[in-house]
Amino acid sequence: MIDVYLLKLRARDTVSAAEEEAIRSLFSEIKEIGTDKTLVRAGERLNISLLLLDGLACRFKDLRDGSRQISELHVPGDFADLHGFTLKRLDHSVMTLTHCRIAVAPHERIKTVTADHPHLARLFWLTTNIDAAIHREWVLSLGRRNAQSRIAHLFCELQARLAIVGLADETGYELRLTQTDLAECMGLTPVHVNRTLRDLRELGLVEFRNRRVTILDLAGLQRAAEFDPGYLNLTAEPR
Amino acid sequence: MPRYRFNIYNGTGLTEDDEGRELAGDDAIREEALKGIRSILGEDIMSGVLDLGGRIEILDEAGGLYLTVPFTEAVTVIGASTEG
Repeated sequence: MIDVYLLKLRARDTVSAAEEEAIRSLFSEIKEIGTDKTLVRAGERLNISLLLLDGLACRFKDLRDGSRQISELHVPGDFADLHGFTLKRLDHSVMTLTHCRIAVAPHERIKTVTADHPHLARLFWLTTNIDAAIHREWVLSLGRRNAQSRIAHLFCELQARLAIVGLADETGYELRLTQTDLAECMGLTPVHVNRTLRDLRELGLVEFRNRRVTILDLAGLQRAAEFDPGYLNLTAEPR
Repeated sequence: MPRYRFNIYNGTGLTEDDEGRELAGDDAIREEALKGIRSILGEDIMSGVLDLGGRIEILDEAGGLYLTVPFTEAVTVIGASTEG
């Protein structure tokens, strides 16, 4: 059930059989949740963290006029609010963007597992560090990349992150997002996203249609985005 | 809520909206187009060229033309030269 999480961890380090068993003991239940549902509300006191098994979710903050900025997309295998274990309250909310399946980890269990397995504590720390690296890359995109390379970069990032859990290859992946979702990730509007997707298609780099990203030229797309996967820490080494 | 599609016509031709968005009321529909135009023009300005010649054609669910919003309606230009 939680194999996507093991794939994500094993892309960065070895996980022993005993550690795998400890990870499996973290979760108390599996839940199915519909599209556009809030999983974590900013400011609420937390005693569980959520592992995304299937579907797409996001971290976001919003303004009083309803405009929303997504700060990270979560793909299967992401422990979406593991940082809530130490923070106790999040400064942002987490919501589903598609139908999702999630596993619930009570904080009491995370405490026990990290006490018994310091290496797992370091791996959990690593994954929250990678989330922070993803945020920095998005800050660079939002602050400095133009719309074309911003969207190109997001498509490259998702290709790399989904490939780890077997949900993407070099030709593309399913991405059940709307133009509005993309606009809220990229600080653009749906109309501008649509216009920019056309540019990327005409450049022969990538196509986003019918909920699928079709990569026409991966190397060209990575060049247009100045994509360097280093920040995703994709090498397995002792942590 | 009814779904509207926002087709963009500008210097590079037609960009069709095959997804559309659900919106309620004339104001919200028009605002969606205006915000989209301003977002595109904002990026144009960063490249140093502003093309106000485009328009958005909003289609209703049946595919009929609901409203046309020219790019010029999205901005008030002050102090532009009078050439041309």
